[in-house]
Amino acid sequence: MLRIEEHPILTFEKGKLVTFTFDGKELQGYEGDTIASALHAAGVKVMGHHHVSGRPRGFYCAIGNCGSCLMIVNGEPNIRVCVVPLEEGMVVETQNNRGDLL
Amino acid sequence: MSNPKTANVVIIGGGISGVAIAWNLAKKGVKDIVILEKKTVCSGATGRCGAGIRMQWGAEQNCLLAKMSVEFFENANEILEYDRDVEFDQGGYLIVAGNEKENEQFKKNIALQNSLGIPSKHLTPQEAKEIVPHMDETQIVGATFCQKDGHLNPFNTTEAFAKAAERLGVKILKKTKVTGIDVKNDKIVGVETTGGYISTPLVINAAGGWAQEVGKMAGVDLPLYSERHQILVTEPVELIQDPMYMAFSLNIYIQQTPHGSFIMGRSNPEEPRDLRQTSSWQFLHEMINTCTTLLPPLRKLNLVRQWAGLYNMTEDAQPIYGKVDNVEGFWLACGYSGHGFMLAPATGILLTEMILGEPLSIDITNLDLGRFERGELCFETSVV
Repeated sequence: MLRIEEHPILTFEKGKLVTFTFDGKELQGYEGDTIASALHAAGVKVMGHHHVSGRPRGFYCAIGNCGSCLMIVNGEPNIRVCVVPLEEGMVVETQNNRGDLL
Repeated sequence: MSNPKTANVVIIGGGISGVAIAWNLAKKGVKDIVILEKKTVCSGATGRCGAGIRMQWGAEQNCLLAKMSVEFFENANEILEYDRDVEFDQGGYLIVAGNEKENEQFKKNIALQNSLGIPSKHLTPQEAKEIVPHMDETQIVGATFCQKDGHLNPFNTTEAFAKAAERLGVKILKKTKVTGIDVKNDKIVGVETTGGYISTPLVINAAGGWAQEVGKMAGVDLPLYSERHQILVTEPVELIQDPMYMAFSLNIYIQQTPHGSFIMGRSNPEEPRDLRQTSSWQFLHEMINTCTTLLPPLRKLNLVRQWAGLYNMTEDAQPIYGKVDNVEGFWLACGYSGHGFMLAPATGILLTEMILGEPLSIDITNLDLGRFERGELCFETSVV
């Protein structure tokens, strides 16, 4: 389990369960998650791929700076999933290129 | 290395025009050429521009100048023996007409362009959509297209000229600002710079946005003014747009670079005449509204940054080429009104021919400074 359940200072109160899909597979997270935190908790380690070399990229900066977690969310490319709140019914897909506008 | 104390030619401005003129002069055997650049090569309008090149003009002379430049750019890597790539992407220019009047003018332009050997054609909105499938064709009434038009990487293109010029002995003095031009008995005798005095009989004003200021240093009040033009770049995405998309009636251009980012700019008819190069939120707001109306899928793009550069404007939106009659040795290559980058290969060739007293490859004698006094302006309306 990748969620921090106990912390010496902070407490985490889980919101209600949120269901979304990742590459067609149904996953669950909690209200208050970012898309990336829900994916991480579900064991997803590969957040993107370098658009030239194709090498996998992991969860890196988690604050919207690095661009390692660009995904297609509800059909929109280049979404930084580490800073976008998870919503019920979101369709999240791995992005393997620079992003398709069409 | 100390700066030269004398030069045969001093070029003021290390943008594309300055380096192109220097290379052409050096190639013809002129020695001791110095370029004075107050910041770094490409730091002015050249490094800030959209770097598009089109042969689709409304005035014959511009068609010919642009055609000469396209033919040069097509072979620029080889001619300039450049070890990198100027990235000339000939995806064409699609110029859209927003109303019937403009559309009719475009048909006349096409007839002129075709008569000069420029392979442009007129398109219906549906035909235009086949070339740029993500456009909203209901926003336009017609378009023109020329596959040979395109865009370049302005930094690489300028570097290609600069390196080739330096190999021929041209000295480019960076971070060296001209502080005065020494004129004695109506003759140029030297320039004062922050790096010392340089004696020279010949000065070429290729200072772009600052050409008016440079003119004043020689006591000449040039009919020029500068104004800010803004531009933005987005994140890169997969390539979807080959041509430069341009609309004169909306004052915009939108291109996708080989890297995948979109670069777009918009002119503001209300822009004050000054030397500001600041950015504004109003530009972003208007640019984004316009581009997402014309090309709706672009709404998915994230913006990376915006910047601005100076257009050096003349009353007829045409450059000033040639000498200043009452100051011997003072030559002008300025006032490009937003198309100095694309004309630079022709600028280099023609200024060199003028200075050396050779026959001109294209007659540009009517683009002299005297046209403003004679009242013989050559208006070009196909501008953004």
